Amino acid sequence: MCATCGFPAAPGHWTDAGAATGPDRLRARFRRAQVLQAVLPAYGLSAYDGGLIPGIQISTRSGAETIVPNLTDVWVLAEKLTGSPIDPLDPRFLRAGDTAS
Amino acid sequence: MQLTVLGGFLGSGKTTWLRHQLHDGNFQDAFVVVNEAADTPVDDALLARSTDLAVIAGGCVCCTARGELVELLRRLCDRRSAVSSGGERLQRIILETSGLADPGPIVEAIRTDPMLVYHIVVSEIVVTVDALHALAQLRSEPLGRRQIEIADRLIVTKIDEADPASLARLLATLSRLNPGVTISGAIKGSDAPLPAYHGAAPEPLHDLSGESIKPPIFATTLALDPSIDWTAFSVWLSALLHARGDDVVRVKGVVRTPAGRLLLQSVRKVVQSPEVLPEQALDAAPKDDSIVVIGRGYRSEDLRRSLRSFARAGRS
Repeated sequence: MCATCGFPAAPGHWTDAGAATGPDRLRARFRRAQVLQAVLPAYGLSAYDGGLIPGIQISTRSGAETIVPNLTDVWVLAEKLTGSPIDPLDPRFLRAGDTAS
Repeated sequence: MQLTVLGGFLGSGKTTWLRHQLHDGNFQDAFVVVNEAADTPVDDALLARSTDLAVIAGGCVCCTARGELVELLRRLCDRRSAVSSGGERLQRIILETSGLADPGPIVEAIRTDPMLVYHIVVSEIVVTVDALHALAQLRSEPLGRRQIEIADRLIVTKIDEADPASLARLLATLSRLNPGVTISGAIKGSDAPLPAYHGAAPEPLHDLSGESIKPPIFATTLALDPSIDWTAFSVWLSALLHARGDDVVRVKGVVRTPAGRLLLQSVRKVVQSPEVLPEQALDAAPKDDSIVVIGRGYRSEDLRRSLRSFARAGRS
């Protein structure tokens, strides 16, 4: 869309568009880390976001840490570290979805 | 009546272009027909400024919903005939097809209908072409080629995002596929000059007819119930697009978040910054909180199971 005929675009990375106020943004960051932390350990990685410094901290089991600015970069880094992309359609996630209600 | 067919592959910028044309005052006298392959239409929300608009959702007007299109066009013809020749009669219809439509059978349906053939002239077939993804589509998608070959006018969109060499190659390829077609450029729906491409080598496109046919592209509607928050959804979708961006061709929908109603759109791995839509009463926005995922190579049910597992993360 252009500046005149469209609606305003949310600033920043697209995944951050769901929170506009400071408290909402902080809540979203904690929730994002929580979801990542449920996904990444199975691949030997962990995620942390303390809400103080910008970015998401991704660690390997050997202790190497990298801070990435957004979720797109999380998946790029995870693929680099593990050798293949983390696929949400992997059976492990499908099974977990079955038990959810 | 003149009918303009606006076609183009999934996510190639049909609605963006049309929206800008309407904003600029072009096609003001036109009745707009929007066709979407998915059950849950999204594009009509973007074209709401058009005064006369009809939506045909849940099927492609070139195949499954062809009867519905013919019926709608017949009604428009009847409406026009009911107005005396001195009155303001409908002069033009714009048909925005779904990204999975082949304009050929649509034109054929009009030409072979005993009523429509006397009332409707297909004046132009305009096809939008995504400068970022079209070369890859042309290599592997027979539909993408057919859309280009039948066009009277090609609008190459997103030309500011493509690198100059690829853009020149694409333009040379389009000229080879459809010699004599008018090609123009657009950025976010506005006209933009194209670079010179004479001398650029076209992409060598091999014959796709003998190849094993890829599974068809289909649409899945995901209902985002209250248990699926935006953050979990965005973690899931960003991972899905990274891992399956070649299979998930298009994602679009409106999601309610603490920051407002967001219009989300992606084409393969490229996600547009969500637009913040005006608030509407809940009962006036029944299509909110559903996302249409268009692609192939997976099962619809698996998308739902996978999304549920991400939404459940940390909540058990």
